[in-house]
Amino acid sequence: MADREAYDGPILEIENLSISFFTRLREIPAVMDFSTTVMPGEAMGLVGESGCGKSTVALGVMQDLGVNGRIVGGSIKFKGRNLNEMSREELAKIRGKEIAMIYQEPMASLNPAMRIGKQLMEVPMIHEGVSEKEAYQRALEVVTDVRLPDPERMLSAFPHQLSGGQQQRIVIALALMANPSLLILDEPTTALDVTVEAAVVELVKDLGKKYGTSMLFISHNLGLILETCDRLCVMYSGEAVETGSIEDVFDKMRHPYTQALFRSIPLPGADKNSRPLVAIPGNFPLPHERPRGCNFGPRCDYFEGGRCDAADIRMDAIEGDDRHDSRCLKFREIDWNAPIAAAIETKKAEIGEVVIKVDNLKKYYEVAASALFSHGETKVVKANESLSFEARESETLAIVGESGCGKSTLAKVLMGLETATDGHVVLDNKGIESVPIQERDTSTVSSIQMVFQNPFDTLNPSMAVGRQIIRALEVFKIGKNEAARRQRMLELLDLVKLPRAFADRMPRQLSGGQKQRVGIARAFAGGARIVVADEPVSALDVSVQAAVTDLLMEIQRNEKTTLLFISHDLSIVRYLSDRVMVMYLGHVVEIGSTDQVFSPPYHPYTEALLSAVPIADTSVEKEHIVLEGDIPSAMNPPPGCPFQTRCRWKKDVPGGLCDTEVPPMKTLDSGHQIKCHLADDILARMTPVIKVAAE
Amino acid sequence: MEPLTWSGSLGPYLNPILLIAVGVFALGFVLNFAMTLVGLRQAEPIVNPDHTISYRMGPVDMALALMRYAVFAVLAVCVIYILGGILQPSMEAKGIIGGVAAQYMPVWIALVVTYVVSIRFKRRLGLYGKLFDNLVGMIGFGLVMFWVYTAIFAPMIATYGPLDVAASLRNAPPGSLVPGASADGAFPYYLLGGDAGARDVFSRMVMGAREVLTIAPFATLFAFMVGITLGLPAGYIGGRFDTLITFLANLVLAFPVILLFYLLVTPEIVEAGVPVYMASVLFILPIIFLWVLLYSRYRAQPHIIKWVAIPITVFLLLIYLGTVFRFDPIVWFATSFIGYLNQGNPVSEWMTSTREAYEPLIGIPIDGNLLIVFVSVVFVNSPTVFRIVRGLVLDIKTRDYVAAAQTRGEGPWYIMLWEILPNARGPLIVDFCLRIGYTTILLGTLGFFGLGVNPESPNWGSTINEGRRLLTVYPHPPLPPALALMTLVLGLNLLADGLREESLKD
Repeated sequence: MADREAYDGPILEIENLSISFFTRLREIPAVMDFSTTVMPGEAMGLVGESGCGKSTVALGVMQDLGVNGRIVGGSIKFKGRNLNEMSREELAKIRGKEIAMIYQEPMASLNPAMRIGKQLMEVPMIHEGVSEKEAYQRALEVVTDVRLPDPERMLSAFPHQLSGGQQQRIVIALALMANPSLLILDEPTTALDVTVEAAVVELVKDLGKKYGTSMLFISHNLGLILETCDRLCVMYSGEAVETGSIEDVFDKMRHPYTQALFRSIPLPGADKNSRPLVAIPGNFPLPHERPRGCNFGPRCDYFEGGRCDAADIRMDAIEGDDRHDSRCLKFREIDWNAPIAAAIETKKAEIGEVVIKVDNLKKYYEVAASALFSHGETKVVKANESLSFEARESETLAIVGESGCGKSTLAKVLMGLETATDGHVVLDNKGIESVPIQERDTSTVSSIQMVFQNPFDTLNPSMAVGRQIIRALEVFKIGKNEAARRQRMLELLDLVKLPRAFADRMPRQLSGGQKQRVGIARAFAGGARIVVADEPVSALDVSVQAAVTDLLMEIQRNEKTTLLFISHDLSIVRYLSDRVMVMYLGHVVEIGSTDQVFSPPYHPYTEALLSAVPIADTSVEKEHIVLEGDIPSAMNPPPGCPFQTRCRWKKDVPGGLCDTEVPPMKTLDSGHQIKCHLADDILARMTPVIKVAAE
Repeated sequence: MEPLTWSGSLGPYLNPILLIAVGVFALGFVLNFAMTLVGLRQAEPIVNPDHTISYRMGPVDMALALMRYAVFAVLAVCVIYILGGILQPSMEAKGIIGGVAAQYMPVWIALVVTYVVSIRFKRRLGLYGKLFDNLVGMIGFGLVMFWVYTAIFAPMIATYGPLDVAASLRNAPPGSLVPGASADGAFPYYLLGGDAGARDVFSRMVMGAREVLTIAPFATLFAFMVGITLGLPAGYIGGRFDTLITFLANLVLAFPVILLFYLLVTPEIVEAGVPVYMASVLFILPIIFLWVLLYSRYRAQPHIIKWVAIPITVFLLLIYLGTVFRFDPIVWFATSFIGYLNQGNPVSEWMTSTREAYEPLIGIPIDGNLLIVFVSVVFVNSPTVFRIVRGLVLDIKTRDYVAAAQTRGEGPWYIMLWEILPNARGPLIVDFCLRIGYTTILLGTLGFFGLGVNPESPNWGSTINEGRRLLTVYPHPPLPPALALMTLVLGLNLLADGLREESLKD
């Protein structure tokens, strides 16, 4: 495959690139004065929040900006040739062969009506005109390279027959078929589960080395960039604000935005009481409302009127570092090592009485095996298998697990949207496991409420924000009349720190974070005592995440709420929860206090999960544990231990016990339980997955 | 006096211009086509250093510009004809086109007022205002409003009654003089000629707009209410109920429409009361719909239920009883009560006879045939609406805000009507516009087959059917209603397109 001609100059050279979108009303600049260079074999990361223009850069490189997009300045040189000046025919030769792109949603990149093999074979057949037989051989080789089991069967499968992780591997294979010089990855793992993401990232890194491909890796996740890239470029509001090698930017950042970004993500060591996250104040400016001078100015702690907002600011090199630039006028003056301005330290809330107790809860769904000829034959999906836990007043219990682990089913049973198959859910000495929501009394309904994941979906788009909160008050029978309810609604808006004027706004006029705040206000409308938060911040931008998380914590402290925090993001779980429950395929595999779960001994799944989460800290050393394969389907779970198909400790259990028997819940410390067959001495020998290097 | 010419005194000047413009358009089209075949393309926009976009005109662009100017010229000529018709004093000078334009005076004024007001306040008018950002939508809206205003101002526009006959003008050509008209002050011409019954074609077309535009929107509205009332629970609750209703809807959809209409108007079936039964079912659904809508929303505010929801529902129920069953409980109870009080004297007898034969005080008097047409149109349209609503509900019910409503213990009807339905409005409004168009055509078809409506009525469909027999000899009687039907449906379709495009932009 070494048919690529030798070329040792920069693969991609972008100079002062500006891209605008033209609408009927105005020109909207999406990218301004963007420069970067990618050398052969180098992996360049592009980080930024949504709307900062990172994907537009990628589309600009592909010269695929749609009808409204235009490159209004600068040049994009690929191997020394300016892409802007190429004809359509020339571009068609380069796209897919020399530059390949991998998108976020794998299913959208694959043709659902075409077998995988055919799609893969097309690439060399079109670009190199090779014979069908050779193309097939090449496809087989590449599918083996992306570590898919049973390559021949894969090639004859249709895309929908594969899991999400497998689909993304096929998309990567598709990109590698032509052996491109440059690979653009646009959030390639965002749609995947953490452990699957870890495996895909590992694969991309290895393949990059093997094929010597240069990469442009776009992500909002700093941890992921740290793991995959050599250099990175931080973007804010259409501009690159800082660029340099990973070590320089992570450890010696020279732009206030980069610093603020790092302070707003939960790293090991952050703590909700003693070292809270620092959210970036204010909002991301809209493209046509950018301030004069520094775009980050209005949100920056170091802002100096008359200087930062005087004129456009250019990138400036930082002396002594290798190609490390910052778009800040004051980076030489700022004391970058100053400690974080003492954040208000809050007292840890007293954990109170048990509020909700779940005992041996089971939820099975019956699914007809075939719609037409069912003959009473049904399959049982065991969504929840004997869950037991309790949660106390003012406590945060995190429920961690990947998709299909049954955490959403658990939430549904608690809320009363589903009734339990077996077991008990006790709220205030009252069994509510088999009381559907319609039959619950108002006080029960209002004391368990939920905050939803998707901010763009959580509010009814055709009802004013205030009206939606008032409706919740009406349903919970709070307030004597309309005026009293309106007053209470305004107080709730104060509670979630939104201006009262928002009451008359429609949801589409609010940003994602603001919508999520309204969602929180609505959940607390009836004085909820238990709030189930289903990944409340995972769809938000990093800087907004911190603010919403802190808000949730603050309300919890004041209202003494029990928070059931469902998440797959272990960094945030570690930051805010008191106790953690890890779920896998409907089983609780580990439960204990946050410290107990995050330090050895671990359940093998917890261990893998901890290792999979990317951490944006160069001082953290992680043990690499890559889980093989995908999560088994809940329709067809493996016999014995649910995790046995992917467990790396399985060989240490004598007698093949894992294959035959579901392990019992084993109590290690007070309150720390593990569902595993491993002997105590093996558990005791486990080493920590995450080590913070001594400073 | 002479019969009118088509273009009156302006004709000799404007007609050549019109001809030239059409010729130029054709030339531009041919040139553009030829150049595109040869491989020439439109010029790409060029981005200037000062961030503006400019175009360098190529030959293809020139041809396109030529076509554009030709279209403008045609439009300008049309406007001059209309203005000329309005401004010139004598009928001879106006000509037929000018005369028609002058008769249409109230419509022009109403259209201009509508457009000026709407464009002035378009930023404040929501989706309706956005329509005025869209050329296609504006044209569609204009065509629809033209016919709506025609229907509203029909008596002012029409020169004769729809059934007036001038015996000598049987199949008279457009612009014919009406003998003896100037003597009794009537309009002196049959502007668009006379039909086989010697009636004025123009007036019948204008009056026909009333017939078409009263039935079509209302029938569509009812079809929507029925479709929504059934589609919401079918999609939201699902299960056996959904299976049953969907099966019934498929059954209705599979049945040939025309055959269904023939069956419904068959005297035996009418005698058996089938249309009334169907009306009783179809018309009660919207009332149930409205009651549930109000009740689910204001459950927590009893005074609104008591003073708004209940009175509205009771009033609608009275209308329902009066319209469908010709039964007015107020009259019935009053007469019975007064009769009871006056037992044995003549008042009692009078009361009894009144009770036997009265017109309901509340209730819309619908002609029996019209009721059948109405019921049939609702009956065949509602299954399609049902399927659209059901599909939308299946999509929207998975959203988090529906789950949020469920977790705060909202009833299913509140969720269906206040959480799901408002968010399905976009596609429903678009479909509503399209469906009025279908219904209009369906009414035309019904009229064409002579089903349901009175054969004398000026309904466009029946008029076309009547004119069809002598089409080869006298093409002028069926053409105006045919063009009217076409432009109305075209307008509705364009309006729907415009709405769809604008609602997607939000």
